[in-house]
Amino acid sequence: MRASLPIVLLLALLTGAILLDKPRQAAELTFINRGEVHTLDPQRMSWLQDFRIANSIYEGVVAHDNDTFEILPGVAESWEISPDGLTYTFHLRRDAKWSNGDPVTAQNFVYSWRRALFPDTAAGYADLFYKIRGGQAFFNWRSEQLASFPQQAAGLSQSKRRDLAARLFAEAVQRFSDTVGLRAPDERTLILTLEVPTPYMLDLLAFGPFMPVHPPTVERYVSLDPATGSMRQQHGWTKPPHLVSNGPYVLDVWRYKRDLRLKRNPSYWNPLAAVSDSVLCISVEDANTAVLAYETGTIDWLSDVGVDYRADMLAQKKRYMERNAARYEELERQGLGYNEILAILAKESPPRAGERNDIHAFAAFGTYFYNFNCQETLNSGAFNAFKDARVRRAFARSVDKQAIVDRVTRQSQPVAHVLIPPGSLAGFSGADGLRYDPALARRELADAGWSDRNGDGRVEDEAGNPFPTVEILFPSVSEHKAIAQAIANMWERELGVRTRLREEETKVAATHLQEHNFMVARGNWYGDYGDATTFLDLHRTGNSNNDRNYSSPVFDDLMARADAELDPEQRLRLLEEANAMIENEEIPLLPLFHQVTLYMYDPARLRNVSTHPRLTQFLHELEVAR
Amino acid sequence: MTAMIVRRLLQAPLILLIIYTVTFALAWLLPGNPLDKPEGRRPPVEVQEAMKAQYSLDNPVKFYVSYLDQVSGLAWLRDRGGGDEGESADAPLAARPIFNLGPCLQYEDWSVNEIIGGALPVSVVLGLVALVFALAIGLVAGVVGAVRPGSWMEVATLLVALIGISLPSFVIGTALLIVFAVWLEWVQVAHWGSPRDLLLPALTLSLPFAAYIARLTRLGMIEVLSADFIRTARAKGVSEARIVLRHALKVAFLPVLSYLGPAAAYVMTGSFIVEKVFNIPGLGQHFVNSVLNKDLFVIMGVVLTYSTMLVLFNLTVDILYRWVDPRIEQG
Repeated sequence: MRASLPIVLLLALLTGAILLDKPRQAAELTFINRGEVHTLDPQRMSWLQDFRIANSIYEGVVAHDNDTFEILPGVAESWEISPDGLTYTFHLRRDAKWSNGDPVTAQNFVYSWRRALFPDTAAGYADLFYKIRGGQAFFNWRSEQLASFPQQAAGLSQSKRRDLAARLFAEAVQRFSDTVGLRAPDERTLILTLEVPTPYMLDLLAFGPFMPVHPPTVERYVSLDPATGSMRQQHGWTKPPHLVSNGPYVLDVWRYKRDLRLKRNPSYWNPLAAVSDSVLCISVEDANTAVLAYETGTIDWLSDVGVDYRADMLAQKKRYMERNAARYEELERQGLGYNEILAILAKESPPRAGERNDIHAFAAFGTYFYNFNCQETLNSGAFNAFKDARVRRAFARSVDKQAIVDRVTRQSQPVAHVLIPPGSLAGFSGADGLRYDPALARRELADAGWSDRNGDGRVEDEAGNPFPTVEILFPSVSEHKAIAQAIANMWERELGVRTRLREEETKVAATHLQEHNFMVARGNWYGDYGDATTFLDLHRTGNSNNDRNYSSPVFDDLMARADAELDPEQRLRLLEEANAMIENEEIPLLPLFHQVTLYMYDPARLRNVSTHPRLTQFLHELEVAR
Repeated sequence: MTAMIVRRLLQAPLILLIIYTVTFALAWLLPGNPLDKPEGRRPPVEVQEAMKAQYSLDNPVKFYVSYLDQVSGLAWLRDRGGGDEGESADAPLAARPIFNLGPCLQYEDWSVNEIIGGALPVSVVLGLVALVFALAIGLVAGVVGAVRPGSWMEVATLLVALIGISLPSFVIGTALLIVFAVWLEWVQVAHWGSPRDLLLPALTLSLPFAAYIARLTRLGMIEVLSADFIRTARAKGVSEARIVLRHALKVAFLPVLSYLGPAAAYVMTGSFIVEKVFNIPGLGQHFVNSVLNKDLFVIMGVVLTYSTMLVLFNLTVDILYRWVDPRIEQG
């Protein structure tokens, strides 16, 4: 009898536990996001998956068109820009409401943007707000004010410290309204003054970090920390049912690494904006399980295909497209887009065995590249051969990028000779970049003083010292490793140098990249907004993303002149000049290929998928045909 | 017995403190910056500094002390006692957890308490079902193997045990998924919440344990069945079924019982692989991911939760053990 007690206990516990758990509710559209959502606080966001949700639950003063990325009205129904390009006046629509029925006011935007400029918030995109007049100065002023807190508060009692923190905070708020170019003269007028004319400012304002939060809700979670004097913000307000938002959807359910569900926002001013009544985003970590979830109909859209066999799936898609190439062209001539054509083809000619039509590779706004360390010496103090632009050019010209795309990655990525994906920025003509030319590469290397002087197949300098072993840093991911091996082989073969692979755990590699602790390293960049500076800023001296530590007074000067230039055309020409200098001469980084994003969806079922490279993909516009 | 329980309960905090200290040292020494994103854009330097200061990541001693204060519940007690003069005024006192495991650094909107609060019940359910499966399969296989040595049934049970122990769960799990979800469509992929979703992952998770239990039972049974009291029972004409189930199994079950403690803790804190293959929102993934992300608070929180469970399960098993088998010395 006694022996059965543990078993009875076990069964009782089990029944109780099963009764406690709630299964998820189905939705009209179900998808798997690019990764787990990090935060729903717009001012702290920096991941694509977060922005994707933000675009459907919040609305900025202006909004993007999902397909063209043109600027559309958002909370503001109209706006004026002063002739000098510095002052923007927005007129907010009367019917813009928060999900609790409160009106969306100009003061709400002032509050939200102010949060981003408080260092206490530690907003990842704080520097975008530096475009606002006085923004950066305010950020630094508050940082100094906080730095002085421990000294001022020394020896004070807990409640005195709290008072001091409150006084400093009030001072900061006052200083913000006095010095920062942001005003709300009335509930429906928002006036924004910039530091310098920024032709892409509206594009930024449609971007996640500029979306508003509901101040009374957020304020309930804000307190002042008597230990540091800084404003502490808890994140309870981003969870349902607390979250109050102003977009087409509101948050219904959010369970960490489980699911996130959106439902229609009854207070949203445009009830037609949301196509589906509800959207469910499920968290799936394993790439194989994600594909299985699509194949078995659990989800309608897989927004990132990470399985090892994706190249084979793409080959099946290619077979399908080749078989239907003539019909595709015919439909294309009638003015139909990719998705419409595939929907028609799905009916006319369904995929046969060994073919598929449900994986889609779209050009993304990003590039995969290799960084050259451009410092005078390496971090270890050792000689750095890559400080010489001729050496960098030689290494860039000896990489056969087509071979890498065709034989290593096999995901139909376009080969990249430049960092900025060609054609992705209206009016901006990119540079040519350097092509694969091993003979010229060897000449450039010889010009830099490196040639095979003793006939051992390796290059040496005049004193006979061999070229330092080229160390390639990359994160421990099989794809990066395969690419690194291919490039190492090319450099050994074409240039006569020795190479060494330095594979490190992802997080460690990221830290070493930031510390410039490498010789050559794998890198990656996606543009944030529709202007060349979203790429070119990487090369500015001291930029926090300048992993290469590249520094050129000539380049910095060109960029500074572009910043100050009032004429948009002239500004573009300056940026083009700066870009050409980087891509044709300086090569601080070696572009390999432009990124593609792989989606899985049935073209006959899922409609309104945007093929725009910025790939934010508005959830409220996606439609599942039933 | 009471003295034993009291002594063990008094030891527990000390054990946990040692685990806390060792885990903290290891986690702090992990290379990489917890606030760094592995990919993409980095905020300006001044913002990175502001982020570090926010979580006291700039000073190990400060971190060790203040986190211990929060985790142990001391901060909570002090705030209760000291009225509204608390050290941290993060949230209304009523809403603050007693054992505050801190914020999650990677997924900023979540606290470690919320994460574990969501994942632990899932892991407990899955673990318990797996444990029931393991016991059922293991005991039946073990008894059959011992009672009918040399029969095809013994060969079959040995085979099951061999497969359970030697095949990794990502192979078994994936195979089960393909057969039952993709081909037969009996269960949904990447779905969690209904009892049906439990079957495949629990079976996958249970197999290695079932195999081990089968071996323990089989060995125990073979030994017990040749013991004197069994021969006596047989001589007295007790039916064979009664001998096996009532007399022999009771003794042979004891080693299984002592194995159940660590096994329960292990299955309930989740298996990373089973969770990954079946996409189960349990605790196991946080073990692995927190280390990869160097998310200090999650690492510490998960390890402390796991350790506490382990300590408690071992204690429970020891109590049960004495309850079931009075032959064991008390105290």
